[in-house]
Amino acid sequence: RPAFTDEAVQTLLYKMTGIDLHKVFRPVKKELKPPQYKLMTEAQLQEATRKAIEEAKEKLTMPPVLDEREPIDDVLAEDKFLEGTETTKYVFTDLTYSTPHRERFIVVREPNGVLRKATWEERDRMIQIFFPKEGRKVLPPALFKDEHLGNVFQQDRHEDVLNMCIAQFEPDSPDYIRVHHRTYDDIDKHAKYDLLRSTRHFGGMVWYLVNRRRTDGLLIDMINRDLLDDATSLITLYHMLHPECQSAKEAKDGKLKGVDLIKVFVKTESQREGYIQLALQAYEEGMATSTAS
Amino acid sequence: ALFTGSRLLKGYRGGHVVIRFALGGCANRPFFRIVAAHSKRARDGKYLEQLGCLDPLPNVHGEKVAGLNLERLRYWLGCGAQLSRPAEKLLGLAGFLPLHPMTVTGAERLRQRRQREQQVGTAPADG
Repeated sequence: RPAFTDEAVQTLLYKMTGIDLHKVFRPVKKELKPPQYKLMTEAQLQEATRKAIEEAKEKLTMPPVLDEREPIDDVLAEDKFLEGTETTKYVFTDLTYSTPHRERFIVVREPNGVLRKATWEERDRMIQIFFPKEGRKVLPPALFKDEHLGNVFQQDRHEDVLNMCIAQFEPDSPDYIRVHHRTYDDIDKHAKYDLLRSTRHFGGMVWYLVNRRRTDGLLIDMINRDLLDDATSLITLYHMLHPECQSAKEAKDGKLKGVDLIKVFVKTESQREGYIQLALQAYEEGMATSTAS
Repeated sequence: ALFTGSRLLKGYRGGHVVIRFALGGCANRPFFRIVAAHSKRARDGKYLEQLGCLDPLPNVHGEKVAGLNLERLRYWLGCGAQLSRPAEKLLGLAGFLPLHPMTVTGAERLRQRRQREQQVGTAPADG
């Protein structure tokens, strides 16, 4: 079964993300500097655009998509006679600089005398206290609670929320996964796919939607913006992930490409057939008028 | 030069390396640093190396935070450092060393004292 990290899957997702240089290098809030103007020849301009595309590729590396982590539940020692001496628990962290954070020893001695390994939340907090990382707070901000996420989504700031989430949580923590899924659901509900189009979160969103077979809205959006290549790569990805569905078998038998592939997919798999047919018709009329004129 | 090397480097007669707590912080707010130092030095004076810290006041989540640099601890113990009694008790609680016998004895004494108080409490209530 294909995973998120396979070469083929990654190439498809990267093609769909698109590279809109104006959006990737949109001004991030930094200290103000007056704009710099350079006089270049055609060749130098092409060279500069090529370098910009390479830097954009680096900025568009997709954050990892992992399963939720198992809760830690390991008791190292039980000393029942210590019960009643202490009123609070002790948390001991190993501060050796060279151990990776995943393998660090963080143990908790409870007031009832049992010595256990710390839970994931305690681990994250302790590691942030002793080895602070930029952009991460010790206690997660109240923004990531469900009632406050609604406010953020009304202001169309999904990308900022996702960037903050990546800085604050580990990729396999349940909070990270919950915030990401909420964001993707909201975008799918209001069809705001363009907000994430040239960012590094687009691949993750497409992976989420294809795994849950909710690709109709995205397909309509792509056809409306005349992005037929992206639509075909979306459907190829769908076939890679769900090879047992009928359109996948037909596509493999007939080796269909382009608009035919979309039509076969629409007939068998989608829920909103009517909308997609309308969009396809509008696209074909647009193509016909442009080739005629 | 005004001060030659011999004025800056203190020489001791006897003395050994200990791993102990150095108290810091402010009024009504203690904070201990777990420190490897010569035994003749002042408690909060110049130390050889800081090996961790302990915050004796519980935080928002009701826990007392302690950090221990185990790799450097092992180095100093290998060099022949001695431990102060509170440091031994803390490392026993952490699980790095076996539990200190005084911790066990203290728990036993506390339990016996509480039992005696309870008996004294129930006896006058009866009689």
